[in-house]
Amino acid sequence: MEHQYIIEANNLCFSYKTEDGGAFPVIKNLSFAIEKGSFVAILGHNGSGKSTLAKLCNMILTPDSGTLVVGGVDVTRNDLSEDDIYQLRRQIGMVFQNPDNQLVATIVEEDIAFGPENLGIPPKEIRARVDDALRAVNMTEFARHSPTQLSGGQKQRIAIAGIIAMLPDCIIFDESTAMLDPIGRAEVMETIERLNREKGITVLLITHYMDEAIRADRVIVMNQGEIFLDDTPRRVFSKVDQLKSVGLDVPQVTDLVNRLRTDAGFSIPADILHSAEAVEVLKTLYQQKKLRIDREEK
Amino acid sequence: MLKDITLGQYFPGNSVLHKLDPRMKIFLIIIYIVTIFAANNPLSFVLVLASAFVLMLISKIPAKLILRGLKAVFFIMAFTAVINIFWTSGEHLLLDLGIVKIYMEGITYAVFMIVRVISLIIGTSVLLTYTTSPIALTDGLERVLAPLKVLHIPVHEFSMMMTIALRFIPTLIEETDKIISAQKARGADFNSGNLMQRAKALIPVMVPLFVSAFHRADELAIAMECRCYRGGEGRTRMTQLHYQSQDIVMLIVMLSFMAVVIALNFIF
Amino acid sequence: MEEAKHAASIALENVTYRYSIGTPFEKAALQNISLQFEGGIITGLMGHTGSGKSTIAQLLNGLLQPTEGKVTIDGKDIWEDPKKISQIRFRVGLVFQYPEYQLFEETVLRDIAYGPGNMGLPQEEIQRRVADAAKFTGITPDMLEKSPFELSGGQKRRVAIAGVMAMDPEILVLDEPAAGLDPRGRKEILGGIRAYQREKKNTIIIISHSMEDMAIYADKLMVLDHGHVSRYGTAHDIFCHAEDLKRVGLSRPQITKFIMELQKAGIPVESGIYTVDDAYHEVLRVFGEKERG
Repeated sequence: MEHQYIIEANNLCFSYKTEDGGAFPVIKNLSFAIEKGSFVAILGHNGSGKSTLAKLCNMILTPDSGTLVVGGVDVTRNDLSEDDIYQLRRQIGMVFQNPDNQLVATIVEEDIAFGPENLGIPPKEIRARVDDALRAVNMTEFARHSPTQLSGGQKQRIAIAGIIAMLPDCIIFDESTAMLDPIGRAEVMETIERLNREKGITVLLITHYMDEAIRADRVIVMNQGEIFLDDTPRRVFSKVDQLKSVGLDVPQVTDLVNRLRTDAGFSIPADILHSAEAVEVLKTLYQQKKLRIDREEK
Repeated sequence: MLKDITLGQYFPGNSVLHKLDPRMKIFLIIIYIVTIFAANNPLSFVLVLASAFVLMLISKIPAKLILRGLKAVFFIMAFTAVINIFWTSGEHLLLDLGIVKIYMEGITYAVFMIVRVISLIIGTSVLLTYTTSPIALTDGLERVLAPLKVLHIPVHEFSMMMTIALRFIPTLIEETDKIISAQKARGADFNSGNLMQRAKALIPVMVPLFVSAFHRADELAIAMECRCYRGGEGRTRMTQLHYQSQDIVMLIVMLSFMAVVIALNFIF
Repeated sequence: MEEAKHAASIALENVTYRYSIGTPFEKAALQNISLQFEGGIITGLMGHTGSGKSTIAQLLNGLLQPTEGKVTIDGKDIWEDPKKISQIRFRVGLVFQYPEYQLFEETVLRDIAYGPGNMGLPQEEIQRRVADAAKFTGITPDMLEKSPFELSGGQKRRVAIAGVMAMDPEILVLDEPAAGLDPRGRKEILGGIRAYQREKKNTIIIISHSMEDMAIYADKLMVLDHGHVSRYGTAHDIFCHAEDLKRVGLSRPQITKFIMELQKAGIPVESGIYTVDDAYHEVLRVFGEKERG
C-alpha cells in the first residue's frame, strides 16, 4: 500500500550533550506527520529546535528516543544498516544555509552530478538527470561555470539541482534563504514552489521569514523544542499575539488587519492572509461607510 | 583583489591540445620527457627544440606567457650551463686560463642542457599546465592511477581531496582577504615592528581563518553525507573519458618522434 | 556645561574606484560618484547586490583608496597624508558583513578590547568602553568571560559589533548588521545600534537590503542604483515614490505596497506610509473615528 505520509515522527526526543556531562534537551517528545507532496513551513526563532529537527529527519543526528518512519520504513529501529541510511538520504534531500559550504566541484554540472555518481547511476542517466535538474532550476546556461562566479541565489539553486538529480521524494530547506539578498531569496523561493507544484516533491521549509511561510500549505511553529502551532498559514497567522509571544513576527498586512479588528473594532475576519483579501474587505467597508454618509446627508 | 588570481596556469582555449584527453596528455608528456632525455646529438637536439616550438604554435598559447615561465628558471639554466662549461673536460681545449680549462665538450653539454630544460618547460606547460584545467588534470590522474587501487593506494580519496582543495582555495583566499580587512578596520597593523611583532599581528587573522576553515569542512562533510557520499566504492562518473581519433594521432606522432630521436642516436 | 558634540559628516567627491588595475580583471566598481552622509544621524544606505555599497563602506574608512576623487570628513581629504590613514580607521569604524568570523580572542572581553587596545588607550578607558559597548549590544557580564567560540551565532554578531563600537568612532559604518538573524535578533541588534547613536550623537551609516528595517531604524535613506545615488531623503520621501524602488531592485515594505493598493481601490489614503503604526492611523483617519465597526 502507498503510504500517505513521507515522514512520521512519534515522541521524538533529542538532547545535546553539554561539556559537564549533562544533557540539554532540544527536541521534546515531538510527534508529527508530513503528507506526501505537501509544502510545509517550519517557523521558529533561533534555538527553537527547528534545525535539529531537520537533521533528525535525515539521520545526521540520531534521536535519543521515539520513532521516525520515512517513506514507510522505520529508520530508528536497531538493525538499521548503512544501506538503509543511504536510501533514506536519497529520499530526503537537504539544502543548507551557506551555499558555499555545500558545493563540492569546481564546475556547476560536475557538482550536480556528485549525488547521482555516489548512487552509482550509469553515466548516460546521470547526464540526463543533470540536464533535467539544470532546467528545473533555470540554470542551464551556467552548466560549465565555476560556482565561485555565481551569486548567492544562483549557488543555492545549484545546490537544489544537486539534490533534485538524486530524484528525492522530499527536500528539506534548512534556512536556505537566510544568507541571500532579496533577489536571491525570490529566485530560490520561486524554484522551491515550482518543484513542489510541478514535480510533486514534498517540501519542508525551515525559515524565519514570514512571507515565505505564507506560501506553504501548512505551517508548524516550533518553540523550545515543542510544536507551538500547527495549522494552515491562514489560521496560524491569525494568532498574532501568540506568534509575537514566541519572538516571531507576522506579515505587516496581517498585523495591520489584526489591529484594526481588535483595537479599532473593524468588522474584518480574523484569518486574512493576503493583502488582496484585505484590500477587498476594506474597500467594501469603505463603500458601505460612504453610502451611510450619503444617506445621512440626504 | 586576491580572488582574481587564477589557479594554476590554465589558459582556456580551443586548440587540439586543449581538447586532448587528459589521460592521453599524461602519457604524451611521459613519452616526451623520455625523448628529451634520449637525445644525445646535435640533430636530435635541434629536432627536440623545434618540436617544443611546434607544440607551442599548436597550443595557440601566447609565446609571451611561456617565455615568462622560462624567465623564472633562467638562473637555474645559467648556473647549470656555467657548471657544465667549467667542469667538463674533453679533448678539444678551447681556452686555458690556468686553473680553469674550457673544452669544446663543455660548451656542447651546456647547450644541450639548456635545450633540454627549455624543451621540458615548453613541452610540459603547453601539453599539460597551460592547456589542462586543474580539475581535468586531477580527473585524468585519478583514472591513470586507478590500477594502483589494487595496491591499496587511496587514489580516489587523493583525487577527491584535490578537487575539494581546488574548489575551496578561491573561497578561502576571499575569506582571508575579508578577515585582514576586518582586523585592519579594528586597527591591526601588519606592516610595522620586528619579525616577532609581525608574526604576533597575524594571530587575529590566522585564528578566525582556521576556525572558519574547520567550520566549512564540517558543514561540507555533512552536505556530502547528505548527498550519499561514502567513498569511491560503487561510485560512477558522469563524464566518461573516451579516446578520440585526435588522441590516437597525437600518440602515433609522439611515438614516431621518439623513435626517430632514438634511431638518430645509433646513426651518430 | 559641556558643549554639544560636533558630529562629523563624511562624503565621497567624484570618486571612481577600479580594482585589479593592470590585470585582465580590471573593473570599475564605482564611477564618478558623489554623495554625502550627514553628521549626527543614522543613514540607511540601500541598493541591490553589486550596486557598490560594500566598496563605498571600505572607501569611507580608508581600507580602499579611491582611484580618482576624494573621500572627505568635514571637508578634509582623508588621504591627504597616506601615512596617517590608520588614524582615519579609528575615526571611521567599519563592521563588515557576517563580522562573527573575525573573532579570535580567548574571551569576549578581550576580543571587544582588541580595537581600543590598538588605539593605545589606557586600561581604565578600555574597560569603560568595553562595558559601554556591551551595554548597547546586549552582552551580559557573564558572557564577557566566555570564549567567543562558545556563543551562538547571534551572540557572536553582537560581540563583533561591540568590538568596533568600543573604538568609539565618530562615524560608524555597518554592512548588513542584521543579516541572517531571526526577527527578534534583528530588532535587538538594530535597536541597540539606534540607542547607541542616540546617546553618542555620532554619525552612523547602515548598509541594508531591508526596506522594512531601514524605514524604522534610519533617519534618512540613501538609495543607490548602478553606482549612483538615485534617491536621498526621509523614509516618507522615499516611499512616496515607491514605484522607483522596484526599478532599482529593492522591494518595498509590504505595508507600503498595501497602502498603494488601497489607493488604487479608491480609498483615499496618503502615500509614503511605511510602518504598520502609520498605516493603522492612516486607515483610522480615512474611515473617521466614529465610523468604525
